[in-house]
Formats: sequence, C-alpha cells, structure tokens
Amino acid sequence: MSAPLYEVRNVSKKYGSVVALDGADFQINAGEIVGLVGDNGAGKSTLVKILSGAHKPTSGEIFLDGVSQGWDSPRDAIEAGVETLYQDSGLAPHLTVSANVFLGREKYVAGPFGKLGFLDNKAMHKEAHKDLERVGIAVPESNRSVSQLSGGQRQAVAIGRAVSWASKVIILDEPTNHLGARQAGEVLQVMKAARAKGLGVVFISHTLPHVLDVSDRIVVLRLGKIVANAPTSEFDAEKLLGTITGLNTL
Amino acid sequence: MNQVGTDAKSLKQVRMLFGNQQFLLLLVWFAMVAFFTAFNSIFFSMAVFGNILLDWAPVVLIALGQTFVIISGGIDLSVGSTVGLSGVVAAFQMQHMMTNGDNQWLAIAVGTLVAALVGIAVGLVNGFLITKTKVVPFIATLVTMGAAAGLAIVYSGGAPVGGGPDKAIELSVPWFGPFSTPGLIVVGIVIICGLFLHLARFGRYTYAIGSNEFAARTAGINVNRHYLKVYALSGLLAGLAGMFFYCRLGSGAPTSGYGGELDAIAAVVIGGAALTGGIGRISGTVLGALILTTTTSGLIIIGVAPDWKQVVVAILIAAAVLLQGNKNGSRGGSK
Repeated sequence: MSAPLYEVRNVSKKYGSVVALDGADFQINAGEIVGLVGDNGAGKSTLVKILSGAHKPTSGEIFLDGVSQGWDSPRDAIEAGVETLYQDSGLAPHLTVSANVFLGREKYVAGPFGKLGFLDNKAMHKEAHKDLERVGIAVPESNRSVSQLSGGQRQAVAIGRAVSWASKVIILDEPTNHLGARQAGEVLQVMKAARAKGLGVVFISHTLPHVLDVSDRIVVLRLGKIVANAPTSEFDAEKLLGTITGLNTL
Repeated sequence: MNQVGTDAKSLKQVRMLFGNQQFLLLLVWFAMVAFFTAFNSIFFSMAVFGNILLDWAPVVLIALGQTFVIISGGIDLSVGSTVGLSGVVAAFQMQHMMTNGDNQWLAIAVGTLVAALVGIAVGLVNGFLITKTKVVPFIATLVTMGAAAGLAIVYSGGAPVGGGPDKAIELSVPWFGPFSTPGLIVVGIVIICGLFLHLARFGRYTYAIGSNEFAARTAGINVNRHYLKVYALSGLLAGLAGMFFYCRLGSGAPTSGYGGELDAIAAVVIGGAALTGGIGRISGTVLGALILTTTTSGLIIIGVAPDWKQVVVAILIAAAVLLQGNKNGSRGGSK
C-alpha cells in the first residue's frame, strides 16, 4: 500500500501537566472520509489543531504526501492544501458571501492598482458562485452579506469555502452542529462530493448516525489515546457508542 | 444641489454612494445649513464655509484613523494627545531649523515628516500593547493618551512652541473656494482612505477582523500585524492633524488636540459606524465631522452659546445609535 496522503505518527500534546493527546497515530488517504469520534475531552480538538497547524505537537511527526512537515501556523497548512473548518469559527457576518469565500486569498485587479491591494470584486463574485455550485451548494447571491443568510446557509458557505480551497485534505470540526435534518443532509452530500474530488476528509462529530452514514473508516479517541481504527462496516451504532465510552473494546 | 431632490435617478446614485444612513446625514447637514442661514444669512458665505472647513479638517483627519480602528472592533483614545505631542515635537524641530537659517519650505516639510513619525510611534505603541501584552484597546490607548499628553506638556513647558517658519500660517489661507492648501491635502487623504477602506485588501481585512476575528485568523490573515497597521495609521493621521494645527496657529500647542478623540469618536458614530466592529464608512465619518463643525460655527453665528454644541452632539449621537439599533433589530427579526 502506498503512503497515506496525510499522516501523524506518535504525536503527543501536553498542556502543562495535562496530557491531551498521548502517542496518537492517524492517517487519511485521498478520496476517503474518516470519522473522528470521541467523548468530550478525548483529544479530538487537540488532534484537529495539530492537523490544521494551529498547535505544534509536544512530540511526534507530521507527514503530508510522505514529506515531513512542521507547521508554524495555520497559514502554512492552508498553503500546503490542508483546509480546516473550525467548530463555530463561522464567517465574517458583515462581509459578502464572496468576500468570505475569498477571505485571505483575495483576487486583485490587474496592473499597479492590484499591486496596491485593490480588489477585483466582480471576478470574486463570479468565481465564488461557481465554486459553491460545484461543491453542490446553492447560494442565493454571492454579493449579499452573510448576516442576511440563515444558519444553515452560513454553514453551507463555510464548508463550500473550505472544500473549494482544499487541494489535499479538509478537516471539518462538527460541521453538522446546530443544523436541521435537511441541512445536515446537504452538508453530508458536500462531504461526499469532496471525497469524489479526491480529497481526504476528516469528519469530527458527536452525531454518530452522520458518522456511520458517510465515513469510510472510523477512528475513536478516548482519554488522549486512539482506541479504535477500523472500516465503518465493522461498527454499528451500539458498538461505536460502547467504544467511545469504553464499555467495550474493538 | 437642489436637483438631488428632484431627479429620482441621481438620487438613487447618491444614495448608493453614501449608503442609506449616510444619505440621511447629507440631508441632516443640508437642513442644518438651511436652519442656520434662516436665522442669520451671514452663515451662508464663503468666509463661514472656509472657517467650517478649517475646523473640519483636523477633526476628520483623526476621525479617519478612528474609523479604521472602530471598524476593526477597537477604539483609539490617544489621538487627541498625539495631536498635541506631534505638534510640539515638530515645532521644536522647525524652530531649530529656522535658527539654523534653513529654507522655510524645507522646515515645513521636515516638520510634517516629524509630526507624522511621532504619530506613527504612538500608534505602534498602541498596537504593541494590544497585540503583544493583550491589553484591551480602551485601556492601552488610555495609557498612551495620558503618556502623550504628559510628554507634550513636559517637553514644551506647557506653553505653545513658536519661532517656526512664517509661511506655515500663510498656508492656512483659503485660496481654492473655501479650501486652503492643507485643507485640500486633507481632502486628498480622505479620498485615499476611502479607496483603501472600501476597495482594497487593507479595508477588507479591517472589516473582516472587526466582524469576526477568529474567522479572519483561521482564514490565514495575520491579525496582529493588521492591528499594528491600523493603530499606526490612526497615529499617523493624528500626527498630521498636529501639523495642521501648527499651520493654523503658527505654533505647536501641547493642548491643541484636547478632546479631539471624543470629537473623532462622535464623528465616526454619527457617521454610522458600530463600536462592536465590522460596520462603518468613510463617507459617514466625513459627514459626521462636517455636522459637528457646522454645529459649532452655526451656533456661534446665530448667537447661541457654543456650549450648546455638546447638547446637539449628544442628540445626534443618540439618534445615530438608535438608528443602528433599529437596523440590527429588523435584521435579527427578519429571520
């Protein structure tokens, strides 16, 4: 088998004397959705922050495409093709949909004005609309301000933004939180579209039916350690819950 | 100007240019001009407008910086003191150059540069306190407000510093309609700030950070560096306001900017910006400052004690804030 697309080996993270993550191994392959589950305090958020470049592990190694990486900031990871949608990070409500989609990688007008940072809003509107449509998100108008969208639409834009920018891996932290059943279904469809595009998708969620529905493989964290890593077909709802809480082991 | 009211299409264009609240401000300003003129026709003259613009220019300079700061979700209380400090330091520099027999214009140019640098320095201290020591903007700029005011007094001995180039005062004479040369430069700065706030990356990041700092950070924006730039810009504009006062007074007075931060904040808030960040426009700030200074001149000319200005400003601020509350309320309620 070839090397995984994105991989951490034996990573640990200590906050003072608290061990949040203890020697975890985690891999994700291209065109795969991996569900990452665990109880509160199991170390999911810590692992996400290490994968996204927000935190440096206390020890352990990170590999992207088999190349060792030491992210100094989320910017590094983003530029290497690893996008993260943080829980509740959301969007900038006062900006338009397209300004949010292009936030941090704006398009500039041609010529000297572009060098001064003058924005090509027209091109961004057009492209944002296309990008969102391609990942299966119908957004009313990309020049509307995000504060005028419903909660589900906002989340859809946030995910669409991450999917359209990610070139390798996309990490979604509780993307279906606070969403109605229909909207959550749309989010799951977007994740499948991202997988079809060849991305590695890391899906963190407390909603186990969603995880069982879309994941190819499930990784369970408990008390900072990885306690299970197996294809989704080996789990059912009861067994998964038992593994998370520690009632049974795989 | 009357066409604006009659031609529906150009009305719409003006509305687009200013935004709805700013369009309302324009109407308020027209109403004020009409009101003061009705009481005393002397008000409607080039001399009075020239004077209003001389008052307006330094207010709008520091209010421009304040607009960026407030949109980013912060506040800058230090700008009034920075005006005094930069004016004093620039005055000593120009005094020194005059005793050396240097060219007057050169002295003015160097003085302007020195005032700008002093302002930037205060702004960078603000930015450093906010990003590195994590002091909230209100406290950080309160600290530099006191420090800059104190330094200005100590450095100048409490008295205005004169002995600089005489040409500086001549600069403040209006020659282009009601505009003087420094006034025209301020108009140019207004336009540049408007372009960078509304059309360029600098403004886009300012709005994004004020709207949702975490989202801006996770989008890969270097938020701390942007805060530094925003506060440095605010300081720079305050420094230039210090030089503007120098040209007007012919000396660098340590107290020339006292209360300037409150006028600036008032102008920005009347202009429609929200202290919670993410909202505001340059056109609003320009009109807010214009309304403030028109009120002062108008009350004097119609023979009302200028102390009433504060009451009028208070009413305007309350109206602006209420208007904003309504807007947010209807937005929240629509969903």
